[in-house]
Amino acid sequence: MPASTAPDPGEVPDSDLVKRCQAGDTRAFDVLVNRYRGRIYAMTYHMIQNETEAWDLAQEAFIKAWRALPRFKLDSSFYTWLYRIAHNVTYDYLRKKKIQGDGEFDDSRTEHKVAAGAEAVPRGDDSPDTQMKNAELGDRIREAIAQLSPDHRQVIVLREVEGMQYEEIAATIPCSLGTVMSRLFYARKKLQELLKDTYENAT
Amino acid sequence: MKTPPEDHDLIRWLDGEMNAAERERFTSRLDADPALKAEADLMQRLSTDLRANLPAEMPVPFGDFFNSQIQVRIAQEELSENAGSTKQASWLDWFRLPGFATISTVVAAVIVAGVMILQQPPTAASVVLSTYAPSQGVQVSSYHSTDAHATVLMLTGLEDVPADRKIVGYHIERSETDQAVAATTLYGERGEVVLVVAKDARNQPRLLAAANSRG
Repeated sequence: MPASTAPDPGEVPDSDLVKRCQAGDTRAFDVLVNRYRGRIYAMTYHMIQNETEAWDLAQEAFIKAWRALPRFKLDSSFYTWLYRIAHNVTYDYLRKKKIQGDGEFDDSRTEHKVAAGAEAVPRGDDSPDTQMKNAELGDRIREAIAQLSPDHRQVIVLREVEGMQYEEIAATIPCSLGTVMSRLFYARKKLQELLKDTYENAT
Repeated sequence: MKTPPEDHDLIRWLDGEMNAAERERFTSRLDADPALKAEADLMQRLSTDLRANLPAEMPVPFGDFFNSQIQVRIAQEELSENAGSTKQASWLDWFRLPGFATISTVVAAVIVAGVMILQQPPTAASVVLSTYAPSQGVQVSSYHSTDAHATVLMLTGLEDVPADRKIVGYHIERSETDQAVAATTLYGERGEVVLVVAKDARNQPRLLAAANSRG
């Protein structure tokens, strides 16, 4: 078959790839992994704050998704469905490890071993001085998030990283809307407290 | 601890979860309450900083390895699942793989046929357990000819094959899969090794060895 007739994998809709996966096509699944691995890894990284564990959990999420694909009826977007699997994998892991943000630093979790080439801070055209300040702020924010409880970290990631509406957060966790609002409020208060010095020094 | 409703209002305003009327009322409260305004400003700043410093997408370290490991895990799980089924059927899974057409020219003719046949001893008749045609337009059917002591493949939908094109077939008597090295060896009627195939890191078939074919 001439190469020009083969559709660019990037143009194939998720639903088509899902159907091919359900027929056992692992290459189609590879395309989906390529498409979403960056977003899934970002979520696991923000939740876990450890590159190696986040990498493993992201991979575990994709494996679980592959196993569950025969039962996926395309009643939501593939990414929404995948994200929930990844979220559950990560949250279960956090709970099992009983990571609690009770105000004490856990050096093993706040020591960021980011691989060469990995981008933890968005690119920008800021001056070197501004870039350094942004990088410092980023480090402080990640340290603060690492001290949150899994429940609080979860709502912050769902809201601030994924930009989910309250109803989506409630459906993903799952919990009531009231619980979403309470957790968001207290998570933000906790972050404010943890970042108090940073903000006071900046003003 | 129950969160007071006014705290809910603050974050609902911050996250754009209020309707127009609620937003207007809350803005009036902000104007009238400097402490609330200061709290709202701080939360808004925090939210902006969180979004700026927590990217929604990050490059996966060793991305290719990430993908290939997933493919390996899937292949290993499928192998484990297949271990419970009949030994003869296991190697036929190769022909369900979408990348089979890339194996090599040695088996190109078999790919054209799209099927291989497994004779199940001790019965005399061949049994086709599975077929695969790379092109969806090709239909594969088969029957056993006792006169010819052979299984005949019927391929409907193939383009005309030039008369001088050699078609190679393999007579496979049995197969053995070595789980440890994830390789399957196919044996001919005299017990000779005909093909040895394995999956590569991306779960694609890879021909490890092939005997001279019978033209």
